[in-house]
Amino acid sequence: MDTTARFDFDLLRRYDEFGPRYTSYPTAPHFHEGFGEAELRQHAARSNAELIPRPISIYLHIPYCTNPCFYCGCNRIITRDLSKGERYVERLLREIARAAPLFDRDRDVVQVHFGGGSPNFLRPAQIGRLLDSLGRHFHFSDSPDRDFSIELDPRHVDEADIAELAALGINRASLGVQDFNPVVQKAINRIQGIDQTLAVIEACRARGMRSVNVDLIYGLPKQTQAGFRGTVDTVIEARPDRVAIYGYAHLPQMFKAQKQIRDEDLPGAGERLELLALAVECLTAAGYEYIGVDHFALPDDELAQALHRGGLHRNFMGYTTHADSDLVGFGVSAISHVGSSYSQNPRDITGWEIAIDHDRLPVWRGMTLDFDDELRAWVIQELMCRGEIDRAGAERRFGIVFDAYFADELERLERLEDDGLVELDSGRIRATSRGRYLLRIIAMCFDRYLQRTRPDRERPQFSRAV
Amino acid sequence: MLTRTPGRVPPPSVAADDGDELHFCSTCAFSAACLERGYDKGRLAELHVLVEHTPPIREGEHIFREGDEFNAIAAIRAGTVKTYVTDLEGREQVQGFFLPGEVIGLNAISQSRYPCNAVALETVLLCRFSFPKIATLATRMPGLQQKLFELLSEDIGKASRLAGDFTADERMAAFLLLLSRRYAERGLSPTRFRLTMARTDIANYLRLAAETVSRVLKRFQADGLILVERREVELLDVPALQAIAASVLRN
Repeated sequence: MDTTARFDFDLLRRYDEFGPRYTSYPTAPHFHEGFGEAELRQHAARSNAELIPRPISIYLHIPYCTNPCFYCGCNRIITRDLSKGERYVERLLREIARAAPLFDRDRDVVQVHFGGGSPNFLRPAQIGRLLDSLGRHFHFSDSPDRDFSIELDPRHVDEADIAELAALGINRASLGVQDFNPVVQKAINRIQGIDQTLAVIEACRARGMRSVNVDLIYGLPKQTQAGFRGTVDTVIEARPDRVAIYGYAHLPQMFKAQKQIRDEDLPGAGERLELLALAVECLTAAGYEYIGVDHFALPDDELAQALHRGGLHRNFMGYTTHADSDLVGFGVSAISHVGSSYSQNPRDITGWEIAIDHDRLPVWRGMTLDFDDELRAWVIQELMCRGEIDRAGAERRFGIVFDAYFADELERLERLEDDGLVELDSGRIRATSRGRYLLRIIAMCFDRYLQRTRPDRERPQFSRAV
Repeated sequence: MLTRTPGRVPPPSVAADDGDELHFCSTCAFSAACLERGYDKGRLAELHVLVEHTPPIREGEHIFREGDEFNAIAAIRAGTVKTYVTDLEGREQVQGFFLPGEVIGLNAISQSRYPCNAVALETVLLCRFSFPKIATLATRMPGLQQKLFELLSEDIGKASRLAGDFTADERMAAFLLLLSRRYAERGLSPTRFRLTMARTDIANYLRLAAETVSRVLKRFQADGLILVERREVELLDVPALQAIAASVLRN
């Protein structure tokens, strides 16, 4: 497989449109409230009945932050009251005890991820209690490649915390950086020192964590080429194993905190793309490889190796080396992917708390994937993780005649082929090296739900494709 | 336009439902014997041998329960049926799985009641045959009588096959090959099929633990003998499976 990626400025500008990131297909807006606890139980039972049941990945959402970053679109709650963390942990423990019996014990847990919010709003001892409970209710994989990861806000974690987390078995950390430029930091209400951040990276390494990821954001208010270059250079010098570069999605009508960001401070579409181009150029020159949608990794990182091997996968937590697993999400707004279903916990903390206090599984909404959903989910996953679709593979797996089933999609792809994003031959549909930065655009051709809402009505729930 | 192989489209996964009021399904156990003597489905219905118009039975619904009065045997037109009994401690003991074209209820013939439960593992379509009537008809139709004897004999053979002291690998390989053979006899793919029974049912039937079923299948897959995707199995190396299952199958 050709895994090179070429950044084509003009092409990216032409395809700078809104689109999903496809951490799931169908995407979360298509979940509905007709799907509840009973449906989740049914899907869990079916997933246990599979011949070789899938391993399990676990996501825990910790919504609390002490400070509001203005750009944030995550489900989060701002508070300085640390006792809220304790009450939240108590409820998480109840949720774990309630949900775990749905899954057969011989299904190994290969991935545990703490996301937020700020997971380090909780003390390491609290993280420890959660891991302990998970370990008692599920069976953790004994394999050395199991991933226990956590998102860290470097402003609120010290070396001793990291030592404790590592001792608990946390072996991957993802650090929020966004931008080191003080002017930008002021505009996004996130003041974070360089030394502070580098010390956290260093501590993670010193404690034997297998990999460190750094998140950056382009398109933030007051961001400049020179300033962002400084940020990228500083990050490259620290040489984290993975770097993610997300585009800022300014949707103040959806995310209240974003109202603090003034439109006139935001870079225009052309400037945004230049910021991304700069980051890509620097990272590539420093030896980082483009993994896919937003993500870069050093060549010796497992993600890069999995990409070359064709062993890359994608779920709600992003790219992973673990083969298809069922995802069980805990906490407010957490999403699960069990068998042929998606389900999501309430997005409001009260709704989630009430469900837990009444000993219910806190399912707010979800959906059952039908044959067509499963097929398209597979096609999109292939594109996102391997950059190509093997027509014969789809036919064999799903018993379809590819060209007949996807006649409309192939027609839509023609424009992308003319523009050099994809190459079509009788065997494969392959993203070109220039198309690899536009995997989302290619995937959108196969999204039945987008086609339904055409002609182009507003689709404001998605961020820009670049 | 859109073609799908059997086994991919839910439910029912394997359909032999190509018959209608006048024509037998291609997999029907009785069609050849009856047609040979000029009896089509219409004629059978006239004689009240064939009790049709049974609505589809949904996943989890029982077709008959242990102790129910026996009056009919039924040929499966689509779907899979599991038969089981419950022991004194309330534990389920799976007796067998029945595929399209196969006949359930044969083990009730010697008594007036069904000796086991039969439950649909997915949407099931049946053709019910009144047993007293088909037995009478068989006295006039040697072909049909022969067919009934064959079915009974097969039913007995199936039950005793896995009774020996076999390893998990031997049992699993034999189970897959026997299913393969049964699908092949009905004109369906012998190398790729969907197992509609849960792994706990398979485990119970083979007298293995559920995790052993998965572990053995995982190993078979790692060794390149099979390919597993959810409930679907593809047999990649039939000779190797035959070698493993040799002491069970003995032919």
